[in-house]
Formats: sequence, C-alpha cells, structure tokens
Amino acid sequence: MPKEKKRQRSPESSYRHHKHKKRRSSDERRQDDCRGRKHDNHKSNEPRVNISESKEYFEHPRADYSEKSGCKDGARISVEERNGSKVAAEADNSDKRMYNEEEEESEVDVNFDFTKYKQSLNRIFFRESDLLKRGSDNYNDFWTFLVKYQDFQRKRAGRKESTHTKLKLPESKFGLPRNYDTCYRLNTSVISKDVEIFLKKGRLIDAEVDKELTRARVRQFQNIFLHYIDFAHKQKFAKLKKIRQDQENLPIFQYKSIIVEKIKEHQVVVVAGDTGCGKSTQVPQYLLQAGFENIACTQPRRIACISLSKRVGYETLNEYGSEVAYQVRFERTRTKSTKILFLTEGLLLRQMTSDPLLTMYNVIVIDEVHERHIHTDFLLGVLKCLLHHRKDLKVVLMSATININLFSHYFDDAPVVKVPGRLYPIQLEYCPIKRGEQNSRSDRLDPSPYLQIMQKINHKYPPSERGDLLIFLSGMSEIMAVVEAARMLAQKTKQWIVMPLHGALSVEEQDKIFDIAPEGVRKCIVSTNIAETSVTIDGVRFIVDSGKVKEMSFDPKYKMQRLQEFWISRASGEQRKGRAGRTGPGVCYRLYDESDYEAFQEYTTPEIQRVPLDSLVLQMIAMGLPDARKFPFLEPPSLQSIENSITFLKDQGALTGQETLTPIGEMLSRLPVDVVIGKMLIMGSIFHMIDPVLSIAAAMSVQSPFTSRAHTDHDAVAARKPLESEHGDPFTLLNAFDEWIKVKADGHGTRKWCKRRGLEEQRFYEMVKLKKQFKELLQDHGLLDKIVEDQQYLTSEERRQKHGERKKLGELRKEKAKESRKRKFLKLEEDDYEVSDGEADDQESDVKDLEFRLSHNLNKLQETANKSRNFTLRDINLLKIILCSGLYPHVAIADDCNSYKRDSEQAFHTKSKPFLLLHPTGVFASHPELLQPTEDFNSMSGPSATSELKGRSSSKHELLAYVSLLETNKPYLMNTMRVPAMQTVTLFSNYLDTSGNCTRIVCDGWLEIQFVQEESAEHVISSVIQLRATWQNLIRLRLQDTFQTSEKEKKINPRALKLENVLAKKLTEFLSSDVQYTIRRILAAEIQHLYIGPDRKADNMDNKTDDEQEKEVHISKITVRGKPHPVKGGIQINEYLTHNCLLDDSTASVWGEYTVCMQRHWTCPRCKTSMIVSYAERLQHESDCQAQNITATKEEETVERQEELHTQLNQFRKSYHCDICDKTLTLTTTEILKHKKTHIT
Amino acid sequence: MSKEFICSSCNFKTQYHYFGKKPPFVKSLVMMEDAYIMKDPFSSEGGIIPLGSHCTICGKSVCLSLECSIFYTKRFCVHCVKENISEFPLEIQTEVMKKKNK
Ligand SMILES: [Zn+2]
Ligand SMILES: [Zn+2]
Repeated sequence: MPKEKKRQRSPESSYRHHKHKKRRSSDERRQDDCRGRKHDNHKSNEPRVNISESKEYFEHPRADYSEKSGCKDGARISVEERNGSKVAAEADNSDKRMYNEEEEESEVDVNFDFTKYKQSLNRIFFRESDLLKRGSDNYNDFWTFLVKYQDFQRKRAGRKESTHTKLKLPESKFGLPRNYDTCYRLNTSVISKDVEIFLKKGRLIDAEVDKELTRARVRQFQNIFLHYIDFAHKQKFAKLKKIRQDQENLPIFQYKSIIVEKIKEHQVVVVAGDTGCGKSTQVPQYLLQAGFENIACTQPRRIACISLSKRVGYETLNEYGSEVAYQVRFERTRTKSTKILFLTEGLLLRQMTSDPLLTMYNVIVIDEVHERHIHTDFLLGVLKCLLHHRKDLKVVLMSATININLFSHYFDDAPVVKVPGRLYPIQLEYCPIKRGEQNSRSDRLDPSPYLQIMQKINHKYPPSERGDLLIFLSGMSEIMAVVEAARMLAQKTKQWIVMPLHGALSVEEQDKIFDIAPEGVRKCIVSTNIAETSVTIDGVRFIVDSGKVKEMSFDPKYKMQRLQEFWISRASGEQRKGRAGRTGPGVCYRLYDESDYEAFQEYTTPEIQRVPLDSLVLQMIAMGLPDARKFPFLEPPSLQSIENSITFLKDQGALTGQETLTPIGEMLSRLPVDVVIGKMLIMGSIFHMIDPVLSIAAAMSVQSPFTSRAHTDHDAVAARKPLESEHGDPFTLLNAFDEWIKVKADGHGTRKWCKRRGLEEQRFYEMVKLKKQFKELLQDHGLLDKIVEDQQYLTSEERRQKHGERKKLGELRKEKAKESRKRKFLKLEEDDYEVSDGEADDQESDVKDLEFRLSHNLNKLQETANKSRNFTLRDINLLKIILCSGLYPHVAIADDCNSYKRDSEQAFHTKSKPFLLLHPTGVFASHPELLQPTEDFNSMSGPSATSELKGRSSSKHELLAYVSLLETNKPYLMNTMRVPAMQTVTLFSNYLDTSGNCTRIVCDGWLEIQFVQEESAEHVISSVIQLRATWQNLIRLRLQDTFQTSEKEKKINPRALKLENVLAKKLTEFLSSDVQYTIRRILAAEIQHLYIGPDRKADNMDNKTDDEQEKEVHISKITVRGKPHPVKGGIQINEYLTHNCLLDDSTASVWGEYTVCMQRHWTCPRCKTSMIVSYAERLQHESDCQAQNITATKEEETVERQEELHTQLNQFRKSYHCDICDKTLTLTTTEILKHKKTHIT
Repeated sequence: MSKEFICSSCNFKTQYHYFGKKPPFVKSLVMMEDAYIMKDPFSSEGGIIPLGSHCTICGKSVCLSLECSIFYTKRFCVHCVKENISEFPLEIQTEVMKKKNK
C-alpha cells in the first residue's frame, strides 16, 4: 500500500521521536526496580493489553504484533465456516461463499455505533464467554479497541479502497484464497451458542435484542471481536519474546554457564558486576534453571525485596504464582511451592533463632554485599560459621566491583566471577579549587566553581547534544547555596533547569528529577550522595564531584550522632564518576586534585564501625552467640563500641550482669525494632496506653513528617501552630497524626492540608502502616489481645459510598498506570521550573487516599485519635513515663543560667555531655517559655524559670527527655519532651544512692534530689520501692504468659491484672504528688567527695560484729541480705538502692546520724507485720516484701474474693433514680420495689 | 513439568501447556491450526497465548512472530513462503519483500 505510507510517516516519526526521549533500556528500568524507587515499574511498562498501541496494530504492519492493515469491508467468516477441522479445504469454499453473501447483503456500515448497543451485544456475545468477562479489564479494553478499529475502518472507507479488482485468479497450489482478506490471517475462532443461534435465526431465543442489530452487523461485530482476540494474543506473545530478548541482552547472560558451573563446584562464589549488569534479577533464575530449589536471596532494603520478587516472578512467568515470593518484616507472599524467596538480611538472621542451620534453604544469595550494611556484615560472619555445619549449603555473594578480594579472602579465596558492567567511556578532568579563590565567608560554600563548570558546558557542548548534569555535594546547606546561584545563571541563559536532590525532600519533589527537560535545556541536579547508589537517574552526561560527603558518625562516649563532613573514598569517587557513563560517553569534573584523590581512603567505612551495636549485640546473644567480642567479623568494630553496647543493654535491663538475656531482653530480641522503641511498646501494652504509644513509636521510626520547608516557611509555621504541644515534640507528632486522621475522617482532602502545613503526607501513611505492624507484633507475642474487629455494620448509604470509592480507586489506578508509563516534561519558566502536568501528583495521592479509606475503618481511627486529644494531665504524665521507660537515660537538665540567655542559647546537660542546645526544629526552641513551669501554690511567689528554681524547692521541677543527640555545627537535643524530674529519675535510674534518712538521693551518680521534709522523703522512697517491684513483677508475669502459653489459649494471668490496677493507681498517685524538693546536677569535681566509701563505717550496723547483727536480725524478723556496697559504702538494699552511702553535707550530719540508728515502730504496708526496725532494716524488709507481690498475700486474697463476690452480686443491681429522695441508688429489682414501698407508707 | 516449545527459526524457547486445536483452558475458543498453547501468565483471569505451530510445507515448528512465520488460512514458515512466493496474494508478497529489504 505505497500511497498510505506517506500518511503514516508523520505519526510514526513523531512517535519515534517521543520514544527516543524517554528511551531507557529495560535492564535500566529493572535496576530502578531493584533500587527501590517507588513506582511499580514492570506492570506499567508491560501492560496487559496496551490499547494505545492498537493503532499500530492497524497502521504499522511492520510491527511484530500488527501484521494486519485492517479488514476489508464486508469480509466476514461465520463460526460454522471457520470451525471445521478441514480448514484448508473449506477455506476455498468460504471464499466463494463470502462472495455470495457480499452480493446478498449491503455494504457494511462503518459508521454504525456498536457502543450504543452494548446491552444487546453483551447478551449475544458475553453472556457465557470465558474469554472476556463482562466488567473485566480485558472487556473494557475490547470496547476501546472496537472504537479505534472502527475509526480506522472509516478512514479506509474514505479512501477509494478497491483499486485492485477482485479478479478470479487460478487456484493456488496450497489451496489458498487468491483474494486477500485479513480474516484469513486469524488463527483463532470463537465458539458461542448465542452467536450461532443469532446468526441463524436473526434473534435470540431467550432475550430481546435491539432491532438495529441485524445479522450483518452482528457478523461485523464478531469480526472485530476476532481481530481483538488475535491482537491480544499477538501482543502477549510479543511480551513473552521481549522478556527472553531482554534477558539475553543483559551483560550477565554471557556468564550464565560459568556462574552455574562455579556454584556447582564450590560452596561459596562471588559474583561481581556493576549496576545494570543484571545480576540481581538473573542469578536467582539461573540457579532455578540449574535445578536448585529453596533459594533465599537477601537484600538490604525491604522495598527491593518486593520489587525484585515481582520482577523475577514476571520474568519467570510466575506473576500470579508463588514460585517466586518475598518475605519482609511484616509481609509475605511465600507459600509451600515457593522456590525463590527474596527477603531482608534482618529477617534471615531472625529466622536463624528458630532454625539455626537454616535447613529450609539450599542456596543463599546475598546481594549488595559491597554496601556493607551492618546486617550484611553480620550475616556474612554467621554464614562463615554455618558453612562448617552445612556442607551442602551454597552461598553466592553478589557485589559491585568494589573490594571484591576482601569477600573472596574472607571465604577462603572463594572463586570470583566478574561481569563487566555496561559503561561508556568517561573523560576525567581534575579542576581543584584554589584556596585563594575560596570565598572569605568560610561557613558557606562558594558556588562559583560549580557555575564555572556549568558555563564551560554551555560553551563546549551545543544544546542540541542532550545530556544532564549531576553535582555531588556534601549536604543540604551546600546544595541550597549552589541551587540558588545556579538558578540565577539558569534565568539568564535559559539553558538549565536546576533542582535539588536530598533525603529530606518530599517524595513528589524527589520524583521530579526523573522528568524530562525540554529541547535545548539541561537538567542540573544538585545532590547529596543519595544519587551515588540509591537513586539512579538516566541521561546524565556530566558529573561534578565536590569530593565531600557528610556522614552520620556515632560517638559512643556520649551516645551522640554527629553529622560531619569527610573526604569521600576512592571507591565513592569512582562510583560518582560512573554515573556519567550509563547512557552514553560522559565527562566527570573533580573539584579536587589528583593527589587528593590518591590520598583518599580506599573504601568507605563499613556501617558496623560507625553505628551503635545495641540491637546487634542483643540479637547475637539471643542467637546463642554469647560473646560478641569473639565474633569473626569481616572487619571488626572497635572493642569499645561492643563494650558500650553491652553496658547500654545492661542499663536498659535487657541483659543480666552475666550478659544473659533478661525476660525483657528476650522480648526485645524478638521485636525487630530498636531497643528504645521496643521498650516503649512493651510498657505501652502493659499499661493499656497502647494507641498513643504506637503512634509515637511509629513517628519516631519514620522520617519526620516536617519537611525542610516546614521550619522556614512562615505560613506553614503559622498553620501548624495549633498542632504544637506544650509537652514536647513527641506529642506534637501525635497531634499532627491525630489531626490528619480527623481531617480524613471528616471527608476532607488531606493532601492540601499537609502541604499548607509543610508536612509530608507520605510519612503519615507510613506511620499508619507501621502502627498496624507494631500492633500485630505485640499481638503475636501475646502482649496485646487480638480483638476481632466487630463486623462493621454499614448503612445502605455507606455501602453505596464504599462501592463508589472502590470503583473510583480502580479507575484512578488505571489512569495512574497509564500516567507512569509516560515521563512528564518539564517546562522552562520565568524564575523557576514547573512540571507540566501537576495532576499526576494529585492522582497519586488520591489513589493512596482511597486505598487508605477502603482499608481502614476511619470512624474507629478517629475514635482513638479523639481519645488521645482528650487526654487529661494524668494521662499525659502516664504516657510520658511510658515513653521514658524506653528513653531513659536520655534526660537532660537545664543550665542554671538559662533565664539570662537568649532563646537559641538555652543550654542543657546530660550526664555525659554538657551544654547541649535545643534543635531549632523542636517545639521548645520556638517556645522556651514552656520550660518555665507554672508556680507552685506552696512555693514563694515571683517569676520562676526552671533554672531559677535552682536551690529552691518545688514539686514542679522538670527535665527534658530526648530521643537522640545530634551534632551538626553545634550539639543538639533532638525530639524533646518535658517530664516530671523526681518521678522520672527515681523510677528509672539504675542506681539510687541515699543518705541515712533518704532526704537526699543521688540518681545514677549525677542528679541530686533533696527533699524538704523527711516524711515525704520516706513516702517517696516507699513508693519507689513498691512501684519498681510491682513493675518488675508485672513484666515478669506478662512475659511468662507470652513465653509459656504459646500454644494454649493465651490468657492474661489474673494476678497480672491485679498488679496492673495497683500499679496504675499507685503510679498516678506518685506522678501527681506535690512533694517539695530541689534538684541539681552533680559536677564531676564533686564525685570523689560524694560517697562514704567502703573503708569508712557509716552505719551503726556495720560497727556490730556479725553475731550481733544476726541477733538483731532475728529480733526484728528480717533477713538482711544487704551487704556494704564495695565502692560507695552504705548498705546495698537491692540491685538499685544503696542506703546511707552518701557523705552527709555538714548541716544534715548530726541529724542524719541520729535518725539512721534510731529504731522505730513500723508496720509494713503490704504484709501488715508490725516491727521495730532501723531505717535500713525497714527498707530491706519493704524491698523484699514488695518483691514478692508477684503472689497475693492471704489478706489480699480475702479482699479480692470479697470484691469478686460483690461485683457478682452487683450484676443484678441496676442504677435506680428515686425522684422522691432525689438519689441514685444501686439496687436489685426486688430492692427497688421494697424501696418504692417505703415511700408509700 | 511442562514441555518446551522451540522455534526452529529464531530459537525462542518457552514452556507450553497444550498442543492442538482445542485448548482446554478456554472453552469458547478454537484454533484454526494445531498450535502450541501456553496459559496466559500475565493475567489472573485465565486466557491463553498461542506460541506457534508447524509449517504446512516443511513441518518445522515455528513461532508466530512475523520474522518466523505467517498465517494465511494455514501456517507457513517464512522460508517456505519465500520459496513459494508466487502462490501467495499480492499483499503477502509485498509484505515479505519488504521484510527482505530490511
Ligand atoms: Zn521464531
Ligand atoms: Zn516451512
């Protein structure tokens, strides 16, 4: 059809052009998947049936799936004709018969609109069809196809078609019809009774059909239908073939047999290949094809597990099976038939606690070992040990071509298969910044060297040569400096679109870097090292490398994180350079000298040497590796770091003195969360305050929802004001989350709401997910009851709404799938750039919104959210204590001089680190007045700040509890909340050292509390003993329950319930007590004069001989187990309390000596025994007696039984209001009658 | 274990689930030739993908991509079409010739 060609040229060429711009090779796309970019690529890239391409099916006969050029009008083949088995013989007949029909019937009406008769056509064609189910996606696609097909037919009809006359030609020797018709090229036919009947009789037996649908038209429709089936088949076949082709085009394909061979021969093999070589997706498949089953593939990131499992499932044609599956922390698709399982390293390690030899796997593939995550390193160590016990186990390490020998040597020189990546040549240029050129303002980065390179590019490379620029800088402020300057340049030249890229950007903002710049304009992406490995951007041709990186380092001494700028490693330098050569030859400008490069560290420091090892050590002990110090690490962390973690775990009550797990340690080792978060969750569930604790724990575990804009944009700051909590940042987060739920429940859009407040909505969705996961975790471990959500009752209106939402979600998803196939195009704007299609973002968030609405009971969520909004001060205090149980010893005390300082200079001290500041993003930084407590009734009048209370007694002293310390240019407290000082410290300190009469308590050796009255001191210490004992016993009971009755029905011990009540009541009382005290920080210089020490006799009791002591003990009927503390002196009453070990300050001296020795009459509040005891003896008895409250005393039992009886009786009583005596009484029915009678008489 | 279909022309290999005219997976569909059929792995709604068939003339198995075969009331491998080009209608002739030029 030569004359058609011209017409087709233009759309085709424009298509190609378009295609070129967004062209990305399939393995790059795959790489994105593995990298965990959030879009779900393969599905949108390989749509089921892509109708948008059906145009090509008609118009481009060259296309693989589109050999047709439309059906000649009027041509049709009936079912009977096409159905015969002797097709060849009949083909000829049908040819003839068609002629007859064509003579019989009029020309087919190409303008006939079938879509108007959907209902009737459904009756004829789709009533019983298992090909297209009504309402399915295929069905909808078919109708789209039909419209396009008819369009095409109309165009054809417009042109004079039958130029070549239908000559009667001699018969072909294969019995082929001489007159061409596309229908002869369809190799499928459809059987349908309804269609058959209709074509015979012109009507259906059991249903009415529109009159307009004549037999001819139904035939025409059937014809289109057959073309659709053929089209769909061809397209799916093309998809199959493309999968194979793409696989064979990957660099690693050439190494398939070598890899398989090596794995069969050796126990450990290293596969090294750079980004894009295909190792992550292909090696597991090679193993499967080689006959291996039970293949585990670990990934450092959860999201990579999911996307890889989908991708490999798709490639192995198992998209809908479970042969390829994933399992991550809270989600799994694994079944019995699973052969390849993608899972996180953390999860595989966890599986070893129940299956130490990992017998469920035959091959373990560890991907991205070069990234050297803490779990990767640990896993390698564990596997090294495991290999001795499992000679049949195969281990494959997959790495980029970085430091390969390290891995190979670690596993006794394991063989290495090196796969070259797909990298184009890169021209390297060193352009060191000369010192003199540096701007005098040294704290801000001078952007001019970066601009010079941009100008250089402008001059040297014509704008018609595409290729974007990627600049690597160390941190946010550096990025902002360069972005600002570069945008000025861009405004002048109109040749650049400048955009930042860093972790604090919102997801949408981050996604913009993938959009396409218009012709003649380059993108200039200014990024942190996030673009080095985690985000892959195509089309980058130029790299500018500052050679710097800001990394979080951890200072174990202060448990403080520190953001510092370092030179990068040579490996990083190469990685950065390589980013220029992914799609074509590139150029890399290094803003440092070659000699600098030579001096760089060879490799980046592995994570295990940079981060706290708390969770790791805990897990090692739980796995039966009792001594972390002796573990054969690939590259060991410092011994100091291990020791610090062991100390921390002991302080947290997770490890015993012998470094074995305590019950709480055991529970913590099972929860795959940070120790601090884990403790909060356990306490939250024990105290039935779980919902807010879940929210806060989730908020602490995700990135802050406050974007970088949130703290600089004045409108956002103002709009967010109502969310701020006077109690601190964790409560502000809780408020924000609750309010977000509320806005959603009210049926309003939350996207705009978030945007206005500078909040990143994605984080809230993550929080919801995490909350649910934490909850399930606690339920699985018996810490929370599994409440079966009562069948939600919906009114018909609500049901209709749900249905509507579901339908809309489907539509939106489809739209989105189409949308994400296309890259958006950027527009060059006056002062900034703008994304040409802003609607996609809306769509994205709409989909999330609807998904959320459909999967959550918003009313219920709002109910709990409302609950937390109606917190009383009592609730808040309890909540604070729960949070502190995890956070302690993360507390700081205000500096004495704060009231004389500016807001930004308010200083705080922790035990180990003095002079910390409030981070500017926190609530208290902008409202330091909140840290000035309201005046006590009892205390002196006049203004008082926390600091001014120094040396003054109050019941309102507060400390700041914080989540972490961060040092950037200054050391900061992050995520702070204010907590009642005395209560927090006395409850959570590991050591309480008291004076003889307990009016002076030194907590953990750095905070000194002094009570005004001896009586209240006595009361406090008694409360602390009771609370801590009850707390411990309650935890023990609850954890016993969860450990022992795992199979049996899980039920909370009634004694635990009792203790819960006691604890809640007592704790509330304790928190609201208005005991007057002073608090101060003990300075380092004072420590040596703080304790009496072991040599000096402080107590009368110590003066006595052992005999005398025994006698006395006998008299008072107390077993004094307490021994003098070896260092501090005094008597060690229990694991935290040491009595009378403080050197008395001069004033209290005489009085103290006197009281300590004095024996007084005392009745134990628990066992009710009366005795005459000294202070120490009393403490000893109380401590021992309360420690036994895990079981009830006889007296308590009787009381309990009576109470029970009482409530049973009360079951029959109801509340009755008597109008005559105007009283509400609780009476049984008969009693009510009796009562009424009393009034009658 | 499923059996493997191999195209003699392009070497494309994949598993197939049925060979013949009436794939049992889809009741309302019949093939006009004895074809290698795979259950559609890209859909959860059932369906099939025809993979290829045998050439009517030489009997070799060929996949249904245009590089390897054409269907015109019967399956012909591209090689056999070229050998017997005059037996085919003009439309197919031009199509095959164009391919040659490529
Ligand atoms: Zn083929
Ligand atoms: Zn042949």
